[in-house]
Amino acid sequence: MLRLSWSTFRERWQLFIGATLTVCLGVALVQSSLLILVSAAVGGYVEAIALLGITLGISAFLAVFIVSSTFAFTVAQRRRDLALLRLTGAARGQVRRLLLSEATLLGLLGTALGVPLGLLVMRAQSWLLRDLGFVPAEFAPRWQGWILAVSAGIGLGVAVSGVLAASRRAAKVRPLEALRDTGEAARVMTGLRWFFGILFLAGSVSLVIVSSFAGPEGAIPLAVNAALTAAVALSALSPLVVPLIGRVFGVALRGSTLGGLAQANLWDGVRRSASTAAPLIVLVALLLGQSGTLLSIGEAGQVEQRRDLRGDLVVTAQGQTGAASVPGVDVAAPQLRLPVRTTTTTYEGDGEYETEADNVDALVVDPAAYARTHRAEPVAGSLTRLRGNTVAVTADSGFPLGTTVDARIGDRDVPLRVVAVLPMTFAGGSMLLPVDAVPAAVAARAPSETIVRLAPGADAGAVRGALGEFGEVRTLEEWIDQSASRQQQVSTGIMTVILGLAGLYALIAVVNAVVIAAAERRREFAVARMSGLTRGQVVRLALLESWAVAAIGLVLGGLAGAGTWVGIGAATERIAGQSTIVVPWTLLGVVVAGALLVVGATSVWTAWSATRARPVSLAGAAE
Amino acid sequence: MTAPLSTELGRRAGGGPAAVELRDVSRHYGTKHDLVRALDGVSVAFAEGSWTAVMGPSGSGKSTLLHCAAGLERVSGGQVLLTGDDITAADDAALTRLRRSRIGFVFQSFNLIGSLTAEQNVALPLKLAGQRVPARQVRQVLASVGLDERRRHRPRELSGGQQQRVAIARAMVTRPSVLFADEPTGALDSASARQVLRLLREMVDRAGQTIVMVTHDPAAAASADSVMFLSDGRIVDHAAAPTAAEVAERLARLEA
Ligand SMILES: Nc1ncnc2c1ncn2[C@@H]1O[C@H](COP(=O)(O)OP(=O)(O)OP(=O)(O)O)[C@@H](O)[C@H]1O
Ligand SMILES: [Mg+2]
Repeated sequence: MLRLSWSTFRERWQLFIGATLTVCLGVALVQSSLLILVSAAVGGYVEAIALLGITLGISAFLAVFIVSSTFAFTVAQRRRDLALLRLTGAARGQVRRLLLSEATLLGLLGTALGVPLGLLVMRAQSWLLRDLGFVPAEFAPRWQGWILAVSAGIGLGVAVSGVLAASRRAAKVRPLEALRDTGEAARVMTGLRWFFGILFLAGSVSLVIVSSFAGPEGAIPLAVNAALTAAVALSALSPLVVPLIGRVFGVALRGSTLGGLAQANLWDGVRRSASTAAPLIVLVALLLGQSGTLLSIGEAGQVEQRRDLRGDLVVTAQGQTGAASVPGVDVAAPQLRLPVRTTTTTYEGDGEYETEADNVDALVVDPAAYARTHRAEPVAGSLTRLRGNTVAVTADSGFPLGTTVDARIGDRDVPLRVVAVLPMTFAGGSMLLPVDAVPAAVAARAPSETIVRLAPGADAGAVRGALGEFGEVRTLEEWIDQSASRQQQVSTGIMTVILGLAGLYALIAVVNAVVIAAAERRREFAVARMSGLTRGQVVRLALLESWAVAAIGLVLGGLAGAGTWVGIGAATERIAGQSTIVVPWTLLGVVVAGALLVVGATSVWTAWSATRARPVSLAGAAE
Repeated sequence: MTAPLSTELGRRAGGGPAAVELRDVSRHYGTKHDLVRALDGVSVAFAEGSWTAVMGPSGSGKSTLLHCAAGLERVSGGQVLLTGDDITAADDAALTRLRRSRIGFVFQSFNLIGSLTAEQNVALPLKLAGQRVPARQVRQVLASVGLDERRRHRPRELSGGQQQRVAIARAMVTRPSVLFADEPTGALDSASARQVLRLLREMVDRAGQTIVMVTHDPAAAASADSVMFLSDGRIVDHAAAPTAAEVAERLARLEA
């Protein structure tokens, strides 16, 4: 049996290399994300931990999804071979054992290559984190011995579980199928596809509903999850869409022979098209869902600030400023940005306490001035009581009015009583402290902005000039725009960390699927050429078909991604009072062009090399 | 309409059960409204040690007959017996065992595994059956089809006739009681075809092999012991040891 695997390997190396590659990259990515996450957790880099958690989740998901769909695809591609084995006397169990032992071998090989590659990926990933400022410059992830077991488990686990269902289906292949040229099983929409498609569709709809109730913190992971579940659902259901897209292409290219042929091939190769589109669906869904969510949150924050802030000028400086005493200034509301570490202790029963630490960016304010420059009213308590060791929190902080927040400010532990609860906000700034809760030395070093309202009739130019001695002065409008573009930068950073390498993985999977799909078509191409198509026409035909497949991936991935925007639209409506959905048009354009380019180029290349041999030598010989 | 012709073909030695017997076998395809009767009440017995050719116009049900007789295709009605055992309702495991020991196949498209050498292709059925594979036996079988020297070659390095002979060797290595062949010479030039037919003749004469062979070629049919003719899923004629000219003439009458 192993001899058979080995010789099959030499024959169909594209399939096996492709499958091994997906395992290898998946293992590397998960291993690296996990190691970095563990190191960040040990170091207490809270901001990075949340991000890395999402990154790890996406990596693990992609590893499972891409490996299992690639393995299932390679098995489906070998249907005719397997039927031939059955014809020669192989029992169903033997076919399954053959496929499972192959998967084990490939899983092991992929792991063996993935572990060292994971170290390189780890370097790249932690460089990215340092470069984007999510972790300090001295951050270096540490190797853990146990990770080998995890990586091996992942590599073997995803490979074998990916083949499990496919091998059961393959074992049912009828020996007679070896005699028919169209090896594809008639029924592509299996019960399993319907089951997973509907299950995950329901899951993603519920996630979208949940995310519409989420605060800004929860929105990003929820959007990612919704996009991923929707992507799984639509990949499972994609065979339903393939013929539709085929028809669209048929109509668009009416009258052209190649167009008709491409449509027929799409209808005939539904499984192939669906499998090729699967990784693209996930990639597009992730990119669009994620960036749409981030952009919408940023936009909602900006809308909020425009509505909430009452002021004319903003002075950016360090510590308190003397802005209030400048002639012509009616109110000067300073807010100092101060990192505060809060700890929450919950009683778990049995004398066990669970302590959780959180780093928040608190704003140190003068409550009276704050109230005069912000329109938002507390939903509970009052800002006038913000004196001494007290705090005002937002509604999603989890601290009710009257409770105590254990905070560490500078190097002092301070218990802060919650005296006011502010409405939830997208603009950030989750905690307000009174000036007297903070040591003067700490406050003096904190970066600050002071929102200034001019007295009626004051000369804006003169005040602006006078304020210049404290720091940089902008109009409120300029300042909001500037903080929006800073927010944008942070969002891009988040996207890069979460999706940079994972996106690359998905992209490689897309290329891989196109290569695997073409590997089995040599004979078909040869027959097409024998029946009169030139080599150029065959290549163009392959290009057309691959674009149709890319269109399927783009449409379904776009649907999955756009579905998540519904949730964020509802969330912004609820929190900011105005539904903001920002469609990432630029990215959308890049994704569409990129997908057509990558898929098209790969398919041209594979079709060109698949037609290198003279057609007779392939069409004549049985395989 | 004439009643379906019940046919018994070939010599019967001592009245034992036929190697293969079809009793009133039907095979329908498609839906109720669009029904194709590929086989329509066929009864036929192929005697042990006989070589029967099956002929008929394209689409007359020859391949279907072969597939049903070999247990590759389920019948819609009737019974299939293999040396007296009813295999009509056999499960997959039983059919797999049959393929390993009692049935051999040869097809027009040689259906060799491209990644295996001739030798490995021939040894494959024994390996799949979990038997030890004596290299000598494999070489002997390959030698019997005249391909001992080419045993290390892969199918694509062999000519069509050579590939078909490897396929015959693979079918014979398990010493099946019946060899089913669907247009075994269909893809071959006349010289290679003659060589393959000579090979089949030797197997029948020397080892008493039972062969059921579908063919379009009157010359190939004339090499068999007897010929049966199918049309529209029914047996319409048969002839014992006809000449190629006789076969061609009867076929022409059918196709007219
Ligand atoms: N899987 C199938 N589904 C539907 N119809 C089928 C199927 N297989 C065969 N048929 C039909 O059954 C009839 C008999 O087919 P069969 O392949 O047995 O013909 P044949 O005599 O072998 O023809 P040829 O000489 O061309 O090979 C044909 O009309 C064919 O269209
Ligand atoms: Mg036929």
